[in-house]
Amino acid sequence: MTHRKSSAKRSASVMEEDDDDSRLTQPSTSQVQKGTEKLTKAQIDEKTTELVQYFLVKDQKKLPVRRAEIVKNVLKEYKNVFQEIMNGAQQRFEQVFGLKVVEIDAKNHVYILINKLEPVEGDQRINSSNPKTGLLFVILSLVYMKGGVIPEGLVWNTLKKMQVDPGEKHQEFGDVKKLVTDEFVRQRYLEYTKIPHTEPVKYEFSWGQRAEVEISKLKILKFLGELHNQDPQRWSQQYKEATGQASASMSQPSTSTQR
Amino acid sequence: MKRGRSSSDLDLPQNGNSEDERRGQDPEPVAGHTDSQNDINDEDESSHRRDIRSRYRMLISTVQQNREDMLNVRGNKITEVLDEANTLFKEVHQAREAALDSQLLVVASDLGKEKASQLFSEGLSFDPSTFVQHTLSFMGLNWLEDEGNNSEDEAATSNGILPQNAWHILASRCGLCFQSTPAFHYMYGTFHAEPPTPKLRVERQRKAPTKEAKRIMPTQLKKMEESHQEATEKEVERILGYLQHYHAQDPTSPISYYEFVINPRSFSRTVENIFHTSFLFRDGLARMYLDEDKLPCIGPVEDSAAEEPSSRKQCVIGISHWSWRVLRDAFEITESMIHPPKSRTK
Repeated sequence: MTHRKSSAKRSASVMEEDDDDSRLTQPSTSQVQKGTEKLTKAQIDEKTTELVQYFLVKDQKKLPVRRAEIVKNVLKEYKNVFQEIMNGAQQRFEQVFGLKVVEIDAKNHVYILINKLEPVEGDQRINSSNPKTGLLFVILSLVYMKGGVIPEGLVWNTLKKMQVDPGEKHQEFGDVKKLVTDEFVRQRYLEYTKIPHTEPVKYEFSWGQRAEVEISKLKILKFLGELHNQDPQRWSQQYKEATGQASASMSQPSTSTQR
Repeated sequence: MKRGRSSSDLDLPQNGNSEDERRGQDPEPVAGHTDSQNDINDEDESSHRRDIRSRYRMLISTVQQNREDMLNVRGNKITEVLDEANTLFKEVHQAREAALDSQLLVVASDLGKEKASQLFSEGLSFDPSTFVQHTLSFMGLNWLEDEGNNSEDEAATSNGILPQNAWHILASRCGLCFQSTPAFHYMYGTFHAEPPTPKLRVERQRKAPTKEAKRIMPTQLKKMEESHQEATEKEVERILGYLQHYHAQDPTSPISYYEFVINPRSFSRTVENIFHTSFLFRDGLARMYLDEDKLPCIGPVEDSAAEEPSSRKQCVIGISHWSWRVLRDAFEITESMIHPPKSRTK
């Protein structure tokens, strides 16, 4: 036990974290065996439980979880068996909670939880308590319908027309500008990037990685059709993209990574 | 300038040439100050240039501020702006005005790009204003307040009254588009994730007693030191008293040093006695000598011989618990010659 611990520590100090990550991406079977053979099943189970709880707590604020973070805060000396514990957690999320762990960024290994079950009409629990969803919907629809990337001015103007002024404190959302450009961005619902060669600097919005996996474009389009009282297929370009997303997620149901 | 309008492209080479010529002949400051020669022509020229610049700036700001309008309106506002810029450019002769012209061009071409992207998207285009209107009515916007100017869509949308739960209504419907997880909560609630801010009051309470303790500490120490010194002096004097008393009882027989200092019942008392006795030697109030058996003896010094600085000698006495017991048994000491002070509590 002590020997195993010390060797793990030594390797941690030698390797850079990122370097380490890339090594862990596809652990060879011998590596996994080497890691597991000295650990009891109970130890693995305990760590798996810890990881599940870590995900749930992070998900309270809809924050994504990075692999480096998991290793640092949860696994520690169990880092050699990351994949094994991660698989266990994934299985529990799917079977016990009806949730799914999705890797939204394969390069930096960023994970989020999404609901495995489709939301059902009439189910009032889902997000009904969170008015931020409404705001998010407005921005995401706007971005999507205007071709995927829009200058921030368009977002602020549109919100102003809906009595949400980014310069003022809103009774429902508080600091709107911070909510949109900070919280939604950290949650990976939105991307807020500098437009190159602008003076003064301007920004543009696009869909974040979480939005791509969590939100159905087809459903957004159908709702917009309802709102405008017209057939959503008449937005032919957007409709094509939406059906593309739907079929893509159908074809690979287990790992629907968008980028 | 590459991406520019066709007509200005034609104009450009000519203008560029003439500008170069002018620069070669006349090093007039670009800022447009009147030359030192005070030429009336130059003054006319600079005011004319100022006029051109202000008109350029006007154009740029109209494009920037009415951006949405320019994109939405079916009319040819961009074309109008560009036409005006073209006529202006005929009078441009110097770099500063030309820079403004190119700046306008950047803004206009950006607008053009956006217009083009609208053109590309097949099918129905998406109009944000209409979207806002539909969404607001879904959220239950009350139009009664401004029936009069209902037709002026953009102004009206921000004037109506939204119900308190407007955003909740929208959120509950579009939540169906989100496959997000339900929030996880502890059954009995949870602590806030952020650590609570430390309360000032607690610190104040803590500060007060430490101050008092600081004030007490020095006085206590002083007292202890004083009493300790006094006690040593007293003890030394008391032992001198014993020594003189025993010497007076029988001046001829020497007093054995060990018999004098050793307390058979207490090792620590013995050490204390040795310690205090050493003061007597130091002050020259007692002397030590060896008798016929080479055992150390102690005796008081007569007053007359007390001051003899040359005879100062030093010796070190060590005693351990073991040697104390050996000495006690060897000298068969059963009673201590120096009685412990009665009043001492230590």
